[in-house]
Amino acid sequence: MIFKCKNCGGNVVYEPGRGRMYCPHCEGEDSEEKIQGESLTQCVNCGAPLEIQEYTSASRCGHCGCYIVFQERVEGEYEPHMLLPFHINKNAAVQALNREFSRRLFTPSDFLSEKSLEKMEGIYVPFWLYDYQACYDFTGEGVRIRTWVAGNTEYTERSYFEVVRKMDLDFDKVPVDASYAMEDGIMDLMEPYDYGQLQGFDPKYMSGFYGEVYNQAAAELEDRAKEKSRGASEELLQGSMQGYNTIRPIYKNLDLRGRGVRYALMPVWQYVYRYKGKTYQYHVNGQTGKVIGTTPVSMEKVLSYSVSVFAAVTAMCYLAIRVLEIL
Amino acid sequence: MREYFRYFKWMYIVLGALLLVYGFLNAGHLALAKASGHDRDNQSCTTTERVFDYGDVLTDEEEEKLRRLIAKREKQTRCDIVLITLQESLKEYARQIEPGVGYDEFVRVYAERFYEEHNFGYDRPNGDGIVLVDNWYREDDGRIYTWLCTTGRVKEKYTDAAVDHILDNVYRYVEKNPYRAYKTYINDFYHDMLGIRIFTFYVPGYVPWIVGFLAAALFVICNRRSKKGEKTTTALTYTGGVQPRFRVRQDRFLRKSVVTRKIQTSSSGGGGGRSGGGGGSHGGGGHSR
Repeated sequence: MIFKCKNCGGNVVYEPGRGRMYCPHCEGEDSEEKIQGESLTQCVNCGAPLEIQEYTSASRCGHCGCYIVFQERVEGEYEPHMLLPFHINKNAAVQALNREFSRRLFTPSDFLSEKSLEKMEGIYVPFWLYDYQACYDFTGEGVRIRTWVAGNTEYTERSYFEVVRKMDLDFDKVPVDASYAMEDGIMDLMEPYDYGQLQGFDPKYMSGFYGEVYNQAAAELEDRAKEKSRGASEELLQGSMQGYNTIRPIYKNLDLRGRGVRYALMPVWQYVYRYKGKTYQYHVNGQTGKVIGTTPVSMEKVLSYSVSVFAAVTAMCYLAIRVLEIL
Repeated sequence: MREYFRYFKWMYIVLGALLLVYGFLNAGHLALAKASGHDRDNQSCTTTERVFDYGDVLTDEEEEKLRRLIAKREKQTRCDIVLITLQESLKEYARQIEPGVGYDEFVRVYAERFYEEHNFGYDRPNGDGIVLVDNWYREDDGRIYTWLCTTGRVKEKYTDAAVDHILDNVYRYVEKNPYRAYKTYINDFYHDMLGIRIFTFYVPGYVPWIVGFLAAALFVICNRRSKKGEKTTTALTYTGGVQPRFRVRQDRFLRKSVVTRKIQTSSSGGGGGRSGGGGGSHGGGGHSR
């Protein structure tokens, strides 16, 4: 399907800056008209052949430039339960990238001016959102150690405690990306998303962007969601047992009961830059603007800056000692 | 370059501030010294000499330089400053005067007697002044002893920690460069008398280098943000900020055990034990090596 402008016939896209549908040709707002099309191989608008990947759900026609949402990949079993619309547009994403680059101290000075953009895409990445009820039963032996000196004797007192915790916790929408193309580590670092802006699925939000259907079923990816929930449960349990020097677990059991799973699309800007013959890939959270990606390192900067710090701190330390001695 | 100065501006501001404080303190001491400096009142001192290099560890030129420095510092501090080096056993001499005195105090007996015999003291005989006796002779017990004898105002000003600090500084250099060690003694004394003495710890010379190295290493580690990105989720991100509910939260005391250990008190073996100042009008302390 495509969204055509009722006024001028141009391709209407979702514009994150405006938060509504927008026709870039006549600048009309909310003037879209849905044109249905079943084909996965032909452009609904111009009829040109399309070369789409196995999991593509939204793409752009290389011939007429029209953004197409593939109906059969957003319907039935592939219809997302919810979608988080893009909140920041292309320009805001570039600004977020440049801000991050300038914060990275060892990035070469000419990286911002010399890099060339190879690819820039807004993608709706498929995610499974898992809900769990966690019940954590823990019994252990905690030791508190106290040491003091009286006369010429040092005393070490060890107090032993039975530590019992039965803890309940609800996890909502633990996200796991369901795209082979997106690296798991990068998608994990993209978190968190503000779920307050999640909406029911409407294909119009996909016009103007690329998209995928889930590449793997929810059951296949559940281990990653459980791992995240386990890590959080463990951290919270440890947080409830402060004040002990050591804790020896005697019994522990974490029961994670699934309360539901939903299929959602999350917004990600993907940029590929080329600098001095190498490509650098960045991902920007399409809602929060968080930037993930490695930048090149200037060894010249690392060396000169660290020598500066060494010299200045040594001098400061020396002077501070001299000043204190003179006082 | 602009980026460099923008990032490091605070570092250079702190460094500049420290330099200013350092310069200001030195200038302050000089001004204080000038304001309080006047000719000595004690005319009964039997000698104008202040550097007695009986141990012959200094060259003539070094002795002369120390004399000039002492003359300047005496006026500034209004205290007599005396330096004695020896190369002889003081056992017989000290025990004739104080029978049964320990090895570590032979130098004290010598310093006090020397000070009194020559009527040292800037304001009056046996008045304000300091004498450092460094005996390079290894006594029967295999050690070399040094004593810092304080009198008058100096005795009141110098705590045990301050005496330790000045002797520590002398011992930093004395084996390799006696001239530098004795110059340090004179300059430290000058700053001690004009300052308020809040810092009496000995900080080895390599400490600033190590701190600088660690700071540079930390700086590089913290700024290697070529890395992908930072984790910004917490344990409560997917609980909606809700803390866990505890059906049971119990810490039950089981038992207690106490282990005792005798603390070994260390004897003054290697570096340098010191004993408290002698009675009467003198104070001070000693080190051995």
